Amino acid sequence: MGALLIAPTVLIFVVVIAYPLVYAIYLSFFSIYTPTLSGPWVGLENYRVMLKSGEFWGGLGTTIVWTVGTLTLQIVFGVAMALLLNLNFYFRALARSLVLFPYFVSTVVAVLVWRWMFNDVYGILNRALVVSGLSDMPLDWLGSMPNAMISIILVGAWKYFPFVVIAVLARLQTIPDELYEAARIDGAGPFSRFLDVTLPQLADVLVVIVLLRTIWDFKEFDLIYLLTGGGPVSATETLPLLVYQQAFGMNAMGRASTYAIGIMLVLLIFMILYLNRTRRERGTAA
Amino acid sequence: MKRSSPWKRLLVSLLVWSIVLVVIFPLIWMILTSIKPQTELFRIPPSFWPGEITFEHYATLFKETPFPQYLRNSVIISASTTILVIVVAVAGAYSLTRFAYPGRDRLAILVLFTYLLPSVVLVLPLYLTMVKAGIANTLSSLVIAYTTFALPYALWLLRSFMASMPEELEWAALVDGASRTGAFIDVVLPQTLPGIISTALFTFILAWNEYFYALILVNSDEARPVTTGVITMLVSSFNIEWSLLMAAAVAMSLPLIIIFVFLQGYLVKGFATTGTKG
Repeated sequence: MGALLIAPTVLIFVVVIAYPLVYAIYLSFFSIYTPTLSGPWVGLENYRVMLKSGEFWGGLGTTIVWTVGTLTLQIVFGVAMALLLNLNFYFRALARSLVLFPYFVSTVVAVLVWRWMFNDVYGILNRALVVSGLSDMPLDWLGSMPNAMISIILVGAWKYFPFVVIAVLARLQTIPDELYEAARIDGAGPFSRFLDVTLPQLADVLVVIVLLRTIWDFKEFDLIYLLTGGGPVSATETLPLLVYQQAFGMNAMGRASTYAIGIMLVLLIFMILYLNRTRRERGTAA
Repeated sequence: MKRSSPWKRLLVSLLVWSIVLVVIFPLIWMILTSIKPQTELFRIPPSFWPGEITFEHYATLFKETPFPQYLRNSVIISASTTILVIVVAVAGAYSLTRFAYPGRDRLAILVLFTYLLPSVVLVLPLYLTMVKAGIANTLSSLVIAYTTFALPYALWLLRSFMASMPEELEWAALVDGASRTGAFIDVVLPQTLPGIISTALFTFILAWNEYFYALILVNSDEARPVTTGVITMLVSSFNIEWSLLMAAAVAMSLPLIIIFVFLQGYLVKGFATTGTKG
């Protein structure tokens, strides 16, 4: 009975996940021309190119800058926002759900709004800059460097920090009040209460958040592709965009597949760390 | 912290709410832009609140663009994905939490692994297979592709829900002579229904918001969902009409807003499960 119930799941996993995964590895040994979807076996040539050409390593560097930048902001904003939302104030429930909106809204929606706000002449950001006198020239938010990288990092932080808020807020509510009382009796001020009570209690959930978000930010495609398309030139071309570009811009599907496997190998480190952690928690809980 | 004075509470409220407003400002701006006449966008100085409220952009969107078609496609794709995934995942999660067989725990970890797998690895082989099988550019190609992330996700969530359910009631039903199927329908299903509903909502949102697979697998308006559809409207227009695009952005977020307003409790429940237990 148990086997019967899991059978559809296993069947779907084999067809849409396991088979494509094996197929992706198989593809990486071919030179495939995208329009015809065929081409010769080239052995390890794609891997040699990946390791030798600057393209992959450059893309990896860009991906790391993006991931570290946006993740840091997500954590800082997320923890700060969670602490604020944990305070006692009016219409707290409403504020808590409004803050989640950027996370649940489609990336396409987020990008459309931000591109409108980034608009060179009519965008509200440039208008505010010029009117307030902070700058006498409109800024080119997405078309020049380092602006483009900063812009995608900021929009990424805005889009994904609510994930941190929810996870941290849930954990904050389980910290026993006695811990704060004890610290207060010991004469600890608000700041040292945060450092000595809150932060250690949050450590576990923060590790999980960092692992998950590293994986998700690293493989982010939609947000960057739709904001800058990888430009200017290739300054914001992270690895997932590079795969797309190889497959459908350069028509080199075999090489694209090799790059995709490169991404997976990098992410495997974080996936294994996360899986181990989950398994260990399960072990101690049982 | 619970005994703060009203003045302190008011002060904190002002501070937190001004930050919340900054956070959701882009979404407010999206709505405001969508109900302003086009001319107001380009006026100097610009208007913040619309001087005149108009719904002409929504009318244009639904009458003169392929947007309704995209919306229809998205509804079909997301609903089909959700139904398929929930049926399979409820059975699968029940099996993973209530039956013992060799390899069960390894299977559970595998589910989590596939959930974290980057779609950029799977998309090329899926594209190739679907083009060769002649099903690329169809609604079903996207339903198939979406199960690659939606099924592991739903399974993991439902597994957490079912694992937290006490088994005693179920045993009681079995002792009373109910069949396994009977116990499942009478005891397990009603108990897990809130979990199933919130998983279904999340799955629907995931499918509704998906862009990457749709970009690669579909390039005709007949099968295009709203996400790639609206971007097509942006890219193909000679003169970008921002108010029209903002109207489209609001319209495509509507299912989300409805879910938020009416079914918020389910979402929070689901998020507490994923957010903390992972």
